[in-house]
Amino acid sequence: MVGVLEIKDLHKSFDATKVINGFSLAVTEMTLQCLVGPNGAGKTTTIDLISGRQKPTSGEITFREENITGLSEHEIARRGIGRKFQVPAVFRELTVRQNLEVAYNRETSAVRNMFSFKPDGCAKRLEEIAADVGLTERLGIKAGTLSHGETQWLEIGMVLMQDPAMLLLDEPVAGMTEHEMDKTVEILNRLKKTNTIIVVEHDMGFVRRIADVVTVMHMGSLLAQGSIADIEKDERVREVYLGTEDDEESVH
Amino acid sequence: MEKNLYHNRLLQWLVYVVFFAALAVIPLVMDDAFLLNQLATYGVYGMLALSISLCWGFGGILNLGQGIAFGLGAYGMAMTMQMQTQDPEYSPIPPFMLNNGLDALPAIWEPFWNTGFGIALALIVPTVFYLIFGGLMFQARVAGPFFAIMTLAILSALATLFVDLQPYTNGVNGISPPAALDIGGFVIDPYMSTSYWVVFALLVLSTVAAKLLTQSRFGLIVQALHNDSERVRFLGYNVAIYETLVYAASGLIAAIAGCCFAFLTQYVSPAQFDVGFSISMVIWAAIGGRNSLLWAIIGAFLVQGAQSYVGDEFLNSWILILGFSFILIVRFLPGGLGGLAETLLGMVSRKRETQESLTVGAGEPETRGA
Repeated sequence: MVGVLEIKDLHKSFDATKVINGFSLAVTEMTLQCLVGPNGAGKTTTIDLISGRQKPTSGEITFREENITGLSEHEIARRGIGRKFQVPAVFRELTVRQNLEVAYNRETSAVRNMFSFKPDGCAKRLEEIAADVGLTERLGIKAGTLSHGETQWLEIGMVLMQDPAMLLLDEPVAGMTEHEMDKTVEILNRLKKTNTIIVVEHDMGFVRRIADVVTVMHMGSLLAQGSIADIEKDERVREVYLGTEDDEESVH
Repeated sequence: MEKNLYHNRLLQWLVYVVFFAALAVIPLVMDDAFLLNQLATYGVYGMLALSISLCWGFGGILNLGQGIAFGLGAYGMAMTMQMQTQDPEYSPIPPFMLNNGLDALPAIWEPFWNTGFGIALALIVPTVFYLIFGGLMFQARVAGPFFAIMTLAILSALATLFVDLQPYTNGVNGISPPAALDIGGFVIDPYMSTSYWVVFALLVLSTVAAKLLTQSRFGLIVQALHNDSERVRFLGYNVAIYETLVYAASGLIAAIAGCCFAFLTQYVSPAQFDVGFSISMVIWAAIGGRNSLLWAIIGAFLVQGAQSYVGDEFLNSWILILGFSFILIVRFLPGGLGGLAETLLGMVSRKRETQESLTVGAGEPETRGA
């Protein structure tokens, strides 16, 4: 089966350290695929390589049948890949509304944007998305004053404003309260009906509630892939990952 | 929800109107030609502070070499004015070139026979220079202090170049065109109110254009990349192009200022490329408030005004006073005088809001702050 995103034999080394080591992946349209694995497995680096923040040492990344390997960040974003960062990156000095307006990137030409003040459709889309991520009441305040959970939602909202063909979400529930996480689960389960999503996540409890497909990475390569039930039965996965996860949970 | 009157767009435009109306009244009530010429020169400094505010305060690009555009613009205009006083048949080359052993007009001077073409070059050359230099730097993601040092290096190089090319530029002596600028019969006499009006009109024009630029979508994206340029790339914007354009726009304004300076003083020299002068532009913007175009202009007026009237009393110690005020501002008022106004108005607005909510009650919060 041909995926909307295909990664073939990806390698990435920093000096002598091999971070990604022959990783391949295919992502089907309209699925939510979770990328899990212990610390240092290369999950965030994979997201960096897809979104152009890092260039692979070798290998090929194809998006909608186009080779996007080695393109710069803005070129990849323009092809419809939106990303959220592990540490939420919003424009703290701008208001929530302005943050969302910046993310409405139908027109990216600097010269044409000099003569544009209110882009078509932006206000309407902004209201919808603000309601989606529950920030309607907060549009007028500076993003720097939002709570941690709200900042995470704002960044998800910004990715949505891009109307991307694919969303890359790096730890979208990190630091969220139980209640905030419930709300995020609800948002993601709604989004995956119309979007292709890759979520990098540590928390298996959260993965269980959202994933269609789970991909386990270990030492920069693919360890296992399948439904959450398959993954949880897999012996190798238990060994490298779920074992430690269970230990963590027993501490809570 | 915080509603600071300082951020009210309508009110901001209103303040601009009042400010420029006040500047427009000056020549109507004052007929001292010398003073009017001096005030027009302040207008030039205002344009330079405006250009710094656009580039640094707004775009986040610290630029210590704004003299590059200012000097190139001033030389372009002075060359145009010089050639207006030459005659193709009887005196085809400026006298200083004869003294420097040239017997034909250098090719680089030829385009300045034509006034319109000369003025266009005075604006286009520095702007294109900024586009190319900025493009190269920002494409390579040179930023912050590294970029500032590069602008300083280029500025010093240009100053040396213009001194060294004595036969073409008259070296340290500079060029002093013997007659006022004449644009198709419209003479801009530096000691008449005409020159004040021309500078005034150009200051208003560049301020309004810069203000509109900051309020456009381009402006919003520049504000965002000033916050976190890395994040902007992942939204699909080519950051280098945005940075280059905001840098070049500020360069164009500085080039206009350079042209005005040349016709106001009828003199241009490598002093226009002086590093100290470019740094004082940054000090004007910092003292007035680099985040506000208008306050940066006011900063230039205040500092240069103080230098002319107070500085004479202190002579050599003036630079110490200026440096000390700069330190005080950076330490205690990082937003400059404009930042102080913002804080004060914020306090007033909040007080007003509390009072109103006491009398009106908690209802209809949206009707306030207009």
